[in-house]
Amino acid sequence: MSQDWIDHNIAHKQAGDELLSLTATRDGQVRATWMNPGDGRQTSYATSVIDNHFPSLTRALPEVAWDEREIHDLFGFVPQGHPDLRPLVRTPRWPSEFFPLGAKPIRCPAWLDVEPDNPARTVQGDGITIMKVGPTHAGIIESGHFVFSLMGENILHLDIHLFQNHRGVEAILEDQPIANAVPIVSRVCAGDTVSHQTNWAMAVENLAQFVPDPLLSLRRVILLESERVLSHLNDLAQIPAGVGFQRAHQQALAIKECWQQGLKQLFGHRLLFDTVKPGWAAGADPDALLMLIRRLRQQWTPWRTLVEGHHGFHDRMTGVGVVKPHDAERFGAHGVVARAAGQARDVRSVHALYADMRPACILGQGGDVKARFDVRLGELEESLRLLEASAMRLRNENESPLRRWTVPDTLSGRAVVFTESPHGLNVHDITLDCGRIARYHIRAGTYRHWPLLAQAMPGNTVADFPLINKSFELCYSCTDR
Amino acid sequence: MVWFVQILGIGLMFALSPLFWGITQTTKARLQRRRGPSLWQPYWVIAKNWQKDTTVPEFSSLIFRLAPSITMAALVAILISIPVAGQVPASWPRNLLTVFFLLALERFWTGLAGLDAAGTFGGLGASRVTTLGTGIEPALLAALGIVWGVSGHATIRPLAPLLHASPARLFPWVLASVSLALVLLAEWGRLPVDNPDTHLELTMIHEATLLEYDGRFLALAEWAMALKVTALATLGWVLLGPNCRSLWANLALRLGEVGLTAIAIGVVESRFTKVRFFRIPMYLAAAAGIGVLAFYLVAGGFSG
Repeated sequence: MSQDWIDHNIAHKQAGDELLSLTATRDGQVRATWMNPGDGRQTSYATSVIDNHFPSLTRALPEVAWDEREIHDLFGFVPQGHPDLRPLVRTPRWPSEFFPLGAKPIRCPAWLDVEPDNPARTVQGDGITIMKVGPTHAGIIESGHFVFSLMGENILHLDIHLFQNHRGVEAILEDQPIANAVPIVSRVCAGDTVSHQTNWAMAVENLAQFVPDPLLSLRRVILLESERVLSHLNDLAQIPAGVGFQRAHQQALAIKECWQQGLKQLFGHRLLFDTVKPGWAAGADPDALLMLIRRLRQQWTPWRTLVEGHHGFHDRMTGVGVVKPHDAERFGAHGVVARAAGQARDVRSVHALYADMRPACILGQGGDVKARFDVRLGELEESLRLLEASAMRLRNENESPLRRWTVPDTLSGRAVVFTESPHGLNVHDITLDCGRIARYHIRAGTYRHWPLLAQAMPGNTVADFPLINKSFELCYSCTDR
Repeated sequence: MVWFVQILGIGLMFALSPLFWGITQTTKARLQRRRGPSLWQPYWVIAKNWQKDTTVPEFSSLIFRLAPSITMAALVAILISIPVAGQVPASWPRNLLTVFFLLALERFWTGLAGLDAAGTFGGLGASRVTTLGTGIEPALLAALGIVWGVSGHATIRPLAPLLHASPARLFPWVLASVSLALVLLAEWGRLPVDNPDTHLELTMIHEATLLEYDGRFLALAEWAMALKVTALATLGWVLLGPNCRSLWANLALRLGEVGLTAIAIGVVESRFTKVRFFRIPMYLAAAAGIGVLAFYLVAGGFSG
């Protein structure tokens, strides 16, 4: 039985399938869902937790290392054979019997009064410096604790401790009626919020067998691509800051501000919170959208010329933070990180929303910071093209109002849904039971990239870490939840 | 009169050094299409830190508390040895080698201060400051080698009249100026070598040694950073810049020149990114090479 579980999952990885989700349920099931990237077909496997143990996949599939540690921390199920079972989410303040998603839920445990203690993996030896950074940083950034093992200026090993701001979103969502979910899902992360909202809406619609009309799909594409433009503008602004290229940094932030003010006018929110619901999506006047894109392009084109022609900037980006294709494959990389390493991974190619849009897959070479920067440059323009095409289509569409639909209140079933968020493949694994959420698991785009970032660091100098980190631009909020 | 103008010049340069820092910041802000804070902001920042309580890391020694005063004193001594208005009384100490040793002293204590609090960043900063120092010191010596080339000794005095006297010396004069400008950017810790405005602690060089300081110590360190720019810019302009006959005109000229330098730093910092740490030796080697060339052209009979 347990060998079956391992064999099935390895077979899917070897066939080139994408792991969508690997999570547990309170009643002692561990489930993995795979997707064939050619046609979008999904396959699910389950194994039972026997005597609080289940067979670990990590040795064969390193990409699930964190998923299994998370199950260990939140459910108390032990992945048997896992090479590294240090706490991922748990802190020493949690009582030992407290498992927030475990079989016997304790809502509000008595927190222990102890000092935080993160056992970090470090390199031992003469002349090695251990450098700890965070969780509070000098800039306005999210909380992450980074432990570097350094030899002079060179990084030998990096250990990353996240989940400093674990909010327990998955536990909060449990038992909520369908109607309450949107504001919570919307706020999982400000960077990928539309992607999260769309996932939730699609899950409910799939389970209710509701087929969205073309207008609704079009609106969602517009929102998703607007979010991608916003997120890429932010990431492109942050990368120059890592090497002191303040002029490009500030100008890109100004362009981002222009875009956000436009979003506020068009959709009512600067970060696009609460714009997608089951059966509904915020609409915008196509002419105003086209006008906003034109305004953006007027600033974007000179900025692109500035950064593309800057020799010193390119010199700093080239050859640092290299993600090897082999590692990208092993760690299940997705999104910009995978595409910059030359791997054509973009679920928009199999996604129903993009059925007749055919977004181009922008690929980079070398997997270094420059490749990730260049891929974002290309993708931003591709998103603008998609937005213009969608706005034109919206204008030609006759003014039929959105079909009104009320969510049936006794919905049950499980749906694994995904979208291509600006940071990669964003998956929600949702189980509903009689109109209430029974289990809500989020495996966001950045979750799979954090271990890869640590993997890509050795061999680089410590002064390049901020630049490399910004080129991944991984979200903490989506990961911590 | 010479006494009075020299002392006034020193006082003005000392008092205005945060303003010159503010000029650089405003230039950068404008080139980034920002309005930026007021020109006087560095004074407010220093005053704010001066009024704050001063805390000291638990396990630090006397070295940590002495370092800000010693670095400040070294920089003030450098400023004093510069004939700000071109002329000084006959007995005035003005030896260029003294300036080198005072800079070495300042660097040494900056490194000690970084190490003393035993923070990782301080240690990293101290390591970087001293590593850079081994490159900057010979490069500065080479860039100013022209002083020996012209006069055979190390007295600080305006060289431009001597260099401009013969057309053959114009080219070495240009080379020496370029070399000095390149080295001073590194000595000041400005882009493309170090970025004084960054909050990214992993990339810091000079700032990393100051991370543990606050209150009066930090205020002193900030003023010292501004003073270093002003004093060494003054030195460069006195040695290689234009020179008038009138003392007062020279003093006014110097203030204008240092202001111009502050703007130039802002422009350079907006044009360039920080180079990789391990590429800085190449940059310094280029500056030193140009300086050595200027020295040989002047001293090696090319002018004859």
